[in-house]
Parts: sequence; structure tokens; C-alpha cells
Amino acid sequence: MKTILKKILFVSAMLIFTQSLGANEQDDVKERFLTNIDKVILIVEDKSLSKKQRNANIINVLTPMFDFELMAKLSLGKIWRTLDSEDQKKFVNLYVERMEKSYSSKVDSYNNEKVEVKKIEQPKDNRIALVTDLIGNDESLEIVYKYYKPKKPISQKDTWLVYDVEIKGVSILKADKAQFKEFLQTKSIHELMAVLVEK
Amino acid sequence: MKLAGLIFMVFMVFGFSGCISQSVEEPQKPVLSEEVSSDADDELDEFAEEMQVKEVYDPFSGYNRSMTSFNDGAYEYVFKPVAQGYRYLFHEEIRMSVQKFFHNLYFPMRVVNNALQGKFKNSAEETGRFVINSTVGILGLFDPAKSKFGLQAHEEDFGQTLGFYGAGSGPHIVLPFIGPSNLRDTISLYPDSLLTPIDYTERSYWTLTDTVAEYLGVKSVEKVNYASLNMERYDKLKQDAVDLYPYLRDLYEQYRDKQIEE
Repeated sequence: MKTILKKILFVSAMLIFTQSLGANEQDDVKERFLTNIDKVILIVEDKSLSKKQRNANIINVLTPMFDFELMAKLSLGKIWRTLDSEDQKKFVNLYVERMEKSYSSKVDSYNNEKVEVKKIEQPKDNRIALVTDLIGNDESLEIVYKYYKPKKPISQKDTWLVYDVEIKGVSILKADKAQFKEFLQTKSIHELMAVLVEK
Repeated sequence: MKLAGLIFMVFMVFGFSGCISQSVEEPQKPVLSEEVSSDADDELDEFAEEMQVKEVYDPFSGYNRSMTSFNDGAYEYVFKPVAQGYRYLFHEEIRMSVQKFFHNLYFPMRVVNNALQGKFKNSAEETGRFVINSTVGILGLFDPAKSKFGLQAHEEDFGQTLGFYGAGSGPHIVLPFIGPSNLRDTISLYPDSLLTPIDYTERSYWTLTDTVAEYLGVKSVEKVNYASLNMERYDKLKQDAVDLYPYLRDLYEQYRDKQIEE
């Protein structure tokens, strides 16, 4: 009887262990996310910083967490392959700038909201989605941070990287992809880049 | 039998140490970013399915585009300045209460559409909210149902109900002053209006407004009040748009799909 009990114990221990492995990965992503958010909030609350300095500090915190380069590629989809390498570089730089600006302008309207992780989903081995709530005084905004794990780690980047953000169910990447595609149906990539420079 | 246990132990320990060494080793293999970018094509393929964007059915794109410009002009030159003045005159708390008052009035629409989709728990919660907020919350100006009782609002309209039963969105239509919509949601405005106490037609039950003038007046207050609280949102959306019309169109359709899914 004792041995059977032992076996059951071992098997269940194994099961718990393998389950916690997946959970550990998720916890790591969540923990890193929350520390980064705390860092950003500290920067935002530091009134001694100039706006420019503040934005630069925030970007420094967030850069290892986001794969802006991948986002730039995905936002163009198949069209990406038709660009020569110089245009590709130029486009990535413009897109990164666009993301940074967009984020900074959102930070401007920060008003003591709190960030809470509601749910963690792992649809695939190399994909994790953090479902978060941005809780304001009156209403909360659901924001999903979608992470992927690159096959090879990228230097100076986290192991898991954000490649898309969904705000109230709207993927910023998909929205960009759609509008770029429509724009490029009648205009050239150079015109698109000119518009991005102006923004 | 003891041996079997031992084997399990060995497995456990090995499995464990294997994991540890793996997680320690991982960050020790820095890869130059140049190498990664050569994998760009793989990456594109890997994400291709996930990133597939549903093409919005848009046979009226010409009309929609000009209506979007009209709405944007109306917003920039009429609503925005008025809302800015209004914002200057009334404290944020007052404006938030006005918004809550209107939100509370739309209770019949939410409760019926929740019920039509079989979400009876949500309907019950909405009813609880309406009773509490209309009384303790003084005609809906405050929201004690949420802050004191933890009752959440459940936004549902007839467009979502139709979508819930599988109706497609139909062609995209931009409505004057209202903004992006589609055939399904435009048709749904009518049944929803019957469940709304702000109207101008003859009704056998109580409504807040009776004549067209009253209706337009009340609607304008609601709109301006809403704009005064949400101006920055639209301004930011506009900043992110390369081309305003298709951007708003796609955001709207994605947003509605998500709402229907929930």
C-alpha cells in the first residue's frame, strides 16, 4: 500500500512540477512587466525631469521589452519583402519613432491610473498574452500585451518581447497594417515614409 | 518497488537540473542582431496567420470618405470649441455626473439586449444598477452601484445582439455626426431607439423628450458633454492615422468584433 501511495505522490509531484514550469515562464513575464511599469510610473511622477528627459528615460526602460523592429516588419506584411535594405532600415527607424511618440503622448495623459494583470494566456509555447486593466478613477481600459519568444535571444533585449498591443480589442499592429496597405495601394512606400516623417 | 521510486527520483532530479541549466545558459548566448534580421522572412511567415487582417467590406468608400471629412470638420470647428468652452465652465465631476445620468437612461437598451443574448446574470446586474443608481445615486448622477456594491455595467446594444446570432456587419457606413458604423449597426439604431427615453416620436410610455427640438437639445448636451471628457482620445487617434478614414473604419470594425465576441 505504501509503495502505491509513494508512486501516486511522485506522479502528482511530477505533474505539479511540469505545470509550474509553464507557470514560471508566465510569472517571469508578468513580474518583468510589472517592474517596468513601476519604473515608468516613477519616472512620470518625478516632476524634476524635463519632458524630453522624461520621455527618453521611459523609452530606455521600454526598449528592452518591445521588439519594435519586428512590429515595423509585421506592419508592412508581404510588402516588407519588396523594399530594398536601405528602405527597410529607414522604415524601421521611422516606425520605432512613431511608436515612441505615440507612447509618450499617451503617458502625457497619465492620471494616477493603476495597472493590474487580470489574466495570463499562453496560446502557444512561444506566445504569452498579458491581459491587463488600466484602472482609472472611473473606468478601466483593457490592454493586452502580446509577447513572443524569439528563437534566438536578441542582444540587449528581454527573453520575451512584446510584438503587439491590443487596446479594447483593437490591435495597434493590425490597424497599422490595414492603413498602410490601403495607403500603398495608390501611393508609394516613399510617400508613406514622407507622411510618417511629418507626423 | 523501491527501485521504481528511485527511478522516479532520478527522473525528477535530472529533469529539474536540466531545466535549471537551460534557463541559466539561455542568456549567455548573445546573438548579433544582424543575424536575427536575416531571419526576417521566417518571422514574417511565422506571424502571417496571426496578423491576417480581415478586409472590411466597403462598397461606399467614396461616400464614407467624404462623410468622415465632414464629421471631422464638424468636430474640429463646432464640437471641439464648444466642448472646450463647456469644459472651462463646468468642473470635471459635474461633467462625469452628466455622463452617468445619460448612461443610466440607456438602461432599458442594455438590459433587453443582455437578455436577448441569454446573458441573464448581466441583465440582473444591470437591473440592480438601475435601481440603486436611480435612487441612492440620485437619478443616475452618481454610481454607487459600482463603487459600493461592485455591480458592473454590461454594454450591449442591438447590433451586438444581431452579431451574437451570427449576423455579419454588412458594408461599412459612416453616419453624419455619429461616425463609423455599418449596415447591421445602423439598422440596430431603430430597435435601440425604442428602448431609449430620448426620442421625438409619439410613444405610449414616458420619455424624456417629446419634440424634435427637445430631442436635438438634449442630444447636443449629451454629445458636447461626452466630447468634453473624451477629446484627447480622438485627437490621439488622429495623430496615429496615416489616412483618417480607413484608420477609423478598421478600428471601429475591430472594436465591434471584439464587443460581439464577449
